Amino acid sequence: MTYPSSSPKVRIEFVALLAACALFLSTVEYLIPKPVPFMRIGLANLPLIIGLGLLTKREYILLALLKVLGQGLITGTIFSYIILFSIAGTFASTLLMYIVYRFFKQWVSLIGVSIAGAMASNVAQLTLSQYLLFGAAAKLIAPPFLVVGLISSIILGVFAQQFEQNSAWYRSLRKGSL
Amino acid sequence: MKKIRLGDIIIFLLSLVLIGASFGSYGKLSGKPEVRVQAEGREWVYDLSVNTTASFSGPVGTTSIEIHDGKVHVLASDCRNKVCIAAGWISSAGEWIICLPNNVFIRIEGSIEPQAGGVDDISF
Repeated sequence: MTYPSSSPKVRIEFVALLAACALFLSTVEYLIPKPVPFMRIGLANLPLIIGLGLLTKREYILLALLKVLGQGLITGTIFSYIILFSIAGTFASTLLMYIVYRFFKQWVSLIGVSIAGAMASNVAQLTLSQYLLFGAAAKLIAPPFLVVGLISSIILGVFAQQFEQNSAWYRSLRKGSL
Repeated sequence: MKKIRLGDIIIFLLSLVLIGASFGSYGKLSGKPEVRVQAEGREWVYDLSVNTTASFSGPVGTTSIEIHDGKVHVLASDCRNKVCIAAGWISSAGEWIICLPNNVFIRIEGSIEPQAGGVDDISF
């Protein structure tokens, strides 16, 4: 896999830009009313999906970390146990998305990557809630979470796919000419 | 413009399977009522229609329950206030008896059907 060969300074600025996008989208996500507070659309995962084709492994982990911290800051949960859910969900989804993108790129578009990420995130968070919050009853909240995750991840995936195909900015970044 | 690929469909179908499996957890709620007892850090399940007795040990001693004619109650308990014994018999899904000093939690699970002549209302 080839990565844009811009200078390290430009690259770290680029990670910061994607992290800032995640921060902004976390805010937008926070504004949208939801039946239960921990049900998420996952808007802030968009930079993580788009970053897949642009970042090295280390930069990608850094972006995931910045997303967790930014989201915790926005929602005010950074020093509470809720951040554990954010960490579990984000890292499960970034790991699976990275694996799917890295090894199955020929057969999967960003839509599939997005769905896989959403499912990983939901399963990780539901498993965690089984131990931290609800016990065996966590199974009962699984279906609505997974259905919402599937629908929202398809929409995000379609958006990311369109962005990847049509954005001149993205193309020039891939070529390393920024 | 290339769009949906084979892998996308596979991932989509896999997540549908996952969602389908997750809906299975709702199936367990209906069906015949079961007595579920949480004690000693574990959970026991009894058939409400089979007469039996059982004992559970906890921090203050032993708590015995009896299942008889589709009802369950606490027969004896080593706790001080005997609130669990005073709770009497329970028989329908959603009802529960708890013995806090002895960490014993007894509840009935199953499909919640309106009892004949029972009152289940909320007023404001």
